[in-house]
Amino acid sequence: MIKAIGDWFNGIPEWLHRMFPAHTGAVGWAFILGSVLLCIVLFFLAQQLRPAGRKAIIVTVTFLSGLFYVLEFYVPAKIVNGQEENFLTPFLPVVSDLAQIVAAFALGLGIYSLVTLHGKKVAKGSQGWFYSLVFFISLIAMTFMGIWNWLPVHKDIKVNNNIHDILYLGGLNGLEGTMFSVIAFYIASAAYRAFRIRNAEASLLMGAAFIVMMGQVYAGQWLTHWLPTEGLLANARVETMSDWLLTRVNAPAVRAIGFGLGVGLLATALRIWLSLERGSYFDREV
Amino acid sequence: MDHSDWANRILSLFLCAAILTMIFRARRGKQPFIRRIPGLTAVDEAVGRATEMGRPMLLVSGLGENDLVITFQAIAILSNIARAAARFGNRIITPVYVPQVMTVVEQAFQEAYNAEGKLENFRPEDIIFLSNQQFAFAAAVAGIIQRERVAASFLFGQFFAESLIMAENGNMVGAIQVAGTPSTTQIPFLIAACDYVIIGDEFYAATAYLTREPTLVGSLVGQDIGKAAILLICIIGVVLTTAMGPDNPWMHWFNHIWWSK
Repeated sequence: MIKAIGDWFNGIPEWLHRMFPAHTGAVGWAFILGSVLLCIVLFFLAQQLRPAGRKAIIVTVTFLSGLFYVLEFYVPAKIVNGQEENFLTPFLPVVSDLAQIVAAFALGLGIYSLVTLHGKKVAKGSQGWFYSLVFFISLIAMTFMGIWNWLPVHKDIKVNNNIHDILYLGGLNGLEGTMFSVIAFYIASAAYRAFRIRNAEASLLMGAAFIVMMGQVYAGQWLTHWLPTEGLLANARVETMSDWLLTRVNAPAVRAIGFGLGVGLLATALRIWLSLERGSYFDREV
Repeated sequence: MDHSDWANRILSLFLCAAILTMIFRARRGKQPFIRRIPGLTAVDEAVGRATEMGRPMLLVSGLGENDLVITFQAIAILSNIARAAARFGNRIITPVYVPQVMTVVEQAFQEAYNAEGKLENFRPEDIIFLSNQQFAFAAAVAGIIQRERVAASFLFGQFFAESLIMAENGNMVGAIQVAGTPSTTQIPFLIAACDYVIIGDEFYAATAYLTREPTLVGSLVGQDIGKAAILLICIIGVVLTTAMGPDNPWMHWFNHIWWSK
């Protein structure tokens, strides 16, 4: 009986694939458009519901989604085709796709926010309107080139690939790299403040940092290279002291913080899953 | 896909039971004590200072994209700060990194202003989705900090390498800064650049501390029981391994059962 139920369950993903086969071309586009329209209609219908009704839907969907992932992870699994699998594992791609679709709708909201904000600035000609204009030019250019490159008919046209590479690799990646490298200067200024010896704690921090830094560079290790590598005196070598600080002092502290964080994360997730979260926005009308 | 082992099942079940039991106990009226957390006590000080200076405050909910629980916790903390801002009549600027989060932040802050009876002061245009590119976001936030000369900056949530860019820019303009993150790699940078930093599980205790809501306070006590249990397991493990030796057959048998799936 249990085996029959299990087999029936395992057959559902295949049945879903048979019911909704992958379409290409015009039929595929019609399905995508139809799905988007259906979602928009559902969104407006949800807006018409009373807050209590909306809350009930959110609570139910949150609980069921959470329950799926909880059961999928905790129900004992068997090795099938070299992979761990239980009766819920075949449904994982379907549920992940659903989550991605919801995220895609939210991305639309983000773009709407940006367009509204910068559109107002350009329309009013307020301070910094020029940068808002740059935003629109960049948005349109990247979107256009992204879609153009994605269409299979344009794959071999090198000019388009070059423009995309100039905009993305040459432009955005270069700018990101520049911002990342700026961190070096911020680290220097922050370290200067942190290591200024003002009290006992700062002195301790400075001392520990000095040993760890010296332990990482050749010049630091050279200072105590004349000490033996074994025996009691070996503990006075800079790299040994540095390693001791990192593995015996720093690592346990980080792990202890990690334990606390893990339990805190579990408690918050549990409250959200069971809709028990209170004190901010979860207990009010949604 | 990875699945749970028996150690994980037993521990998770125990932790969930402890947290839920304490939540329901607190809801029935047993209010436990919470120690003072300086970083959170500083929230009112920072908001008050921003009011005196007549300059806006910056609220950032982090860059958590996959760990939305952390971001939700950050929004819960920030919405309490938004409530204080509404009370004092401060302007708050909230750059958002994850587009899905923007509407949640907007809704939460609207509720915060509404709860203080200051809905007319709520400015949705100050909740801005900037970019979901890490350093583009950091550059834009740094720009906002410098242009608006923010008086206070609150950085809560998941942060990566960009945390120092934001915190150092806040430091440059003399903003009072309070930060809280579960990202252990970023804690040293934030400690160096911010006035107050909430570390470790204080991040998850923050909403309980700020609101004293029984459900959250109960959950906090449940978490402490969980941590005590983990500490006890660590001590028992150390004692048994030291006394019996790691190659003892009983230890091998226990390990086999404990870690089996």
